[in-house]
Amino acid sequence: MFDLPILLQIGWTAVATSAYYVLFAIAFALTLKVAQVWNFVQAGVMGLAFYAMWLAMIRWQWPHAAGFALGLAVAVVVSAAVEAWGFRVLRQRNSSSLMLFIFAIVLAEFISYLLTLAFGTEPETLTKSIVSEVHLVGGVAITNWDLRALAITIAMSLALFAYLRFTRNGQFLYAVADNGPLAELYGISANRAYLLAMVISAVFVAAGVYLYGTRASMIPTQPLELMLFAVIATILGGIGSIHGAALAAVFLSLLQSASILVIPSAWQGSLTYFVLFIVILFFPTGFRFPAWLRRVTRGR
Amino acid sequence: MEYILSVLILIGIYTILASSFNLIIGFGGLISVAHPIFFALGAYASGLANLHFGVPIPAAIMLGSLFAALMSVALSLPSLRVSGDYLLIASIGFQLGFLEVIKNIEFAGGAGGLSNIASMYAGPYRSLAFAITILVIAALVVALVHWLTHGDYGRAIQAMRDDEECFTSLGRNPMAIKITIFAFGSGLAGLAGALYAHYFQYLTPEQFGIVQSSLILTMVVVGGMGTTIGPVVGALLLTALPQAITFLNLPSSVMAPLQGMLYTSLVLVFLFTRPAGLFGKPVRQ
Repeated sequence: MFDLPILLQIGWTAVATSAYYVLFAIAFALTLKVAQVWNFVQAGVMGLAFYAMWLAMIRWQWPHAAGFALGLAVAVVVSAAVEAWGFRVLRQRNSSSLMLFIFAIVLAEFISYLLTLAFGTEPETLTKSIVSEVHLVGGVAITNWDLRALAITIAMSLALFAYLRFTRNGQFLYAVADNGPLAELYGISANRAYLLAMVISAVFVAAGVYLYGTRASMIPTQPLELMLFAVIATILGGIGSIHGAALAAVFLSLLQSASILVIPSAWQGSLTYFVLFIVILFFPTGFRFPAWLRRVTRGR
Repeated sequence: MEYILSVLILIGIYTILASSFNLIIGFGGLISVAHPIFFALGAYASGLANLHFGVPIPAAIMLGSLFAALMSVALSLPSLRVSGDYLLIASIGFQLGFLEVIKNIEFAGGAGGLSNIASMYAGPYRSLAFAITILVIAALVVALVHWLTHGDYGRAIQAMRDDEECFTSLGRNPMAIKITIFAFGSGLAGLAGALYAHYFQYLTPEQFGIVQSSLILTMVVVGGMGTTIGPVVGALLLTALPQAITFLNLPSSVMAPLQGMLYTSLVLVFLFTRPAGLFGKPVRQ
């Protein structure tokens, strides 16, 4: 049961599966860092992007690139609209964080009901078959999906890192995240930064949903569960650390996969929630990464 | 007649749930969405105590309420230590996690549900007797919440909610108040659950999910958070309103999401047009 090839296979599969979790966690952590909102609407955006891609790729038989473009466009437009006509309006009214939360979670649920009404509760995938070509490397099965997912995730994470560290707009996001009113005194528009954070998050969500939909099936209520994983990763990685959230997502995925060796599969669903409690109880501000790593991931 | 009585019973149960949730979120300002899990814990604890251990129904109902209150401390003690946002996240995890646990416990009926729970009353006037009992208990709960929030303790709760730092600087302990009102509100939810179990006599984990959170939250927001009468009117409106859709005879695959959309769109409309709800005082910006 504990022989090396099995452990390596579990480890590899967990790292590959963590690809979409990492993208979701980065999206959630970025919005929380810059706009200071627990953006549960992201679950609704995930659902809308997925079903837009599903319509295009499966129902209308569009090429995958075009289907993905449609899903991406839906995610970006909805996220921008939610920021402009939802969060911004509530912020201007000095609404409490409770109101922002209620808005986010209720809108996510509204979208979930809407999708249930429109598409039913049958599980759907973005490809007719989710089987991917397998290569055996040292006894470990590596699929084409694994390689594609990891390549996309690594490329997008590095691109975000570079964007935040080396561009003026990226620096503006950090400035607003650190102190919005002070940043505005220096001529940086906080509203623009919030909008930008939402749009970047939407891009990560769309990519994550695409990877998820080519690997597993989706039902309209699924995104809220996926979101919870991103939320736990964000807390575990340390609120305010985007790349900490990404690393935490990989860790959680490894933990979930490794748990199959020690706990019955029926109880695996409870593990994520158990971890959430342990995290809140013992690591309420997340893990502290070494100072050099924090300096690098903060981008300064 | 039976149908009208069952709607009245639901109105009573949701009045208890909405009023107790309002105590936590409206008066206490504690952002939690896990109220349905305490409803579930009360229901399951009472049902199981009676079914497997032969505890008399009135004692089982008290036990269910007490169990829900105690379990709420398990949630609030670690999460309130940090900040309000953590309670929110922890509450979602607590609710979904416990539902997963219930689904896997055979003793509690598992995913298939717990059946054969004894009814509190028997005979031809069962529903009438139940409706009167529930409505009296609901009225007592509303009066209790009103009394609690409009006396000295109520002023302390609202002071803690409005400015915790200032409240602490006056030598008061906000944690003690938070845990107390959270346990009290959750205990009342457990009471509603226990009553529910001994009327409907069948429980499944699906009845206590996020949809239920959304429904109770809607009742409080639409009625008016932090008011006594608001959640009562919210419970009345939102239990009676979906009954109108029931008469359309739509298939359940359409009915359930349609009802969900109705609840959630009502909250959204109220959030932007009347954030204080029907009975709350509008705040001047």
